[in-house]
Amino acid sequence: MNMFLREMKAHRTGLIWWSLGMVALVSSGMAKYAAYETAGQSIVAIFETLPKAVLVVFGMQGFDLTKASGFYGVLFLYVGVMAAIHATLLGASLIATEERDRTSEFLYTKPISRTRAVTAKLLAGLVNVVIFNIATSISSFYFVDYFSKGEPVGNEITLLMVGLFFLQLIFFSLGALVAGVVRRPKAAPSIATSIMFLTFLLAYLVNMSEKLDFLKYASPFKYFDALALLTDGRLDPLYVGLSVAIIGISVFGTYYFYNGRDLTV
Amino acid sequence: MNVFRRELAAYRKSTITWALSLSGIVVVFMALYPAFTTDIDATRQLLSQFPEALRTALNISLSSFFTVYGFFGYLLGFALLAGSIQAMNLGVGVMSKEVSGKTADFLLSKPITRSAVVTAKLGAALVSLLVTNVVFWTVSYLAAVMVSAEPVEAQTFFLLLSTMLLVQLIFLALGALFAVIIPKVKSVVSVSLPTVFAFYIIGAIGDVLENDSVRYVSPFRFYDTNYIITNVSLEGRYLAVEAAFLVVAVALAYVIYLKKDVRSST
Repeated sequence: MNMFLREMKAHRTGLIWWSLGMVALVSSGMAKYAAYETAGQSIVAIFETLPKAVLVVFGMQGFDLTKASGFYGVLFLYVGVMAAIHATLLGASLIATEERDRTSEFLYTKPISRTRAVTAKLLAGLVNVVIFNIATSISSFYFVDYFSKGEPVGNEITLLMVGLFFLQLIFFSLGALVAGVVRRPKAAPSIATSIMFLTFLLAYLVNMSEKLDFLKYASPFKYFDALALLTDGRLDPLYVGLSVAIIGISVFGTYYFYNGRDLTV
Repeated sequence: MNVFRRELAAYRKSTITWALSLSGIVVVFMALYPAFTTDIDATRQLLSQFPEALRTALNISLSSFFTVYGFFGYLLGFALLAGSIQAMNLGVGVMSKEVSGKTADFLLSKPITRSAVVTAKLGAALVSLLVTNVVFWTVSYLAAVMVSAEPVEAQTFFLLLSTMLLVQLIFLALGALFAVIIPKVKSVVSVSLPTVFAFYIIGAIGDVLENDSVRYVSPFRFYDTNYIITNVSLEGRYLAVEAAFLVVAVALAYVIYLKKDVRSST
């Protein structure tokens, strides 16, 4: 419990800044929509005639930009990226921080097993991730609703926020796994975020060419693609299953590798 | 000179990794170019039916978009994002490592002025970026020549490539500034990644909405690829903005570091 509280406190300032950042991202993004919307022309029909690659270049593939929820779909990619960065860094730094700050000797001379330490850290991280998600959700509900002019958006936003939560958990657990495996504590966040960045690029590659469609399973950003979520109106069970598997394996791996290795002192 | 050499050696591996990864991004994307060009004609016809206002709003200039430059300009956006992360990591890392590595006492008790330390460190970071760019430019140019059916105009292409170094310099300076302002940087990527992505997103959202004032805020939008392709030159206004920013940021980094109460390791 001490460790849990200690980690909550250590990440408090960071979390506040991140949450404020997300509110700023959503509010300024939607505010721009208001300006855009007044210029209002329905270009959706024309868009549908264009090849896939061209639409991707415009970054607005298939979204109904005349609706607030459609515009939020465009924004969601960036909300997702920021959430992924936060979660990855959080997961990696929680686990790696004792070795990086050379406090692992101090910590592990205390009557506490590594398993308990990791559990406390992961729980603290989970609470952080949840708070981040709540902050993003509230600002999304508020600002999308504010600009939607009566169009009901509750279901769409709920769906996207559930997707966002899965995305956060995937990258959080991946970050923790990397830090659990890698011996050089300073390298852990860099490696974890490189993986995240790679999957981000992969999502673009998959969008650009139908031939690369099979790669979509390698990029969590494609699991919770705003366009698919908004079109289908539900989460794809296959991707949810994949996410749960990734999260489960990563968490298990974090314990397994972290318990089994020599700590850098 | 010792500090300079020490930093160069310390960043050698990371520089090589970055140069190779950036080149890798370009090669993978350029490999898609032939597939992309197959439906050029159909797309061209469709696009030419668009009303003129809409076309400009979408920022497509028909003549440039489907050329190898237009395509490269698009993928350059991602390379710029990655390259900026490298630059900012370098800037933050090189200036903060003495404190975070608890070697500040050691270094600053040597007969070397603080300004010499800053100069050596920034110099080493600059060299690392230059090396990255040499590799990146070479690989990109070769890749373009290989996939393009038409000859690649070197001047246009290298102007496009030059935006890489220009944007990296901004983030290097910004990173150095951040590192001297923040009392203790625990993790370099935790500082650089959110910053770089924030600027990227500001630019990207501004792009969708064709908001011009955003261009002054986000370095990713300083050098418009379409402008480079049509005019074969960089926009002087933004070069001036960049130069001013670099001078101010670097000067501030020196001033602050010279006066800073550097944390001792004990």
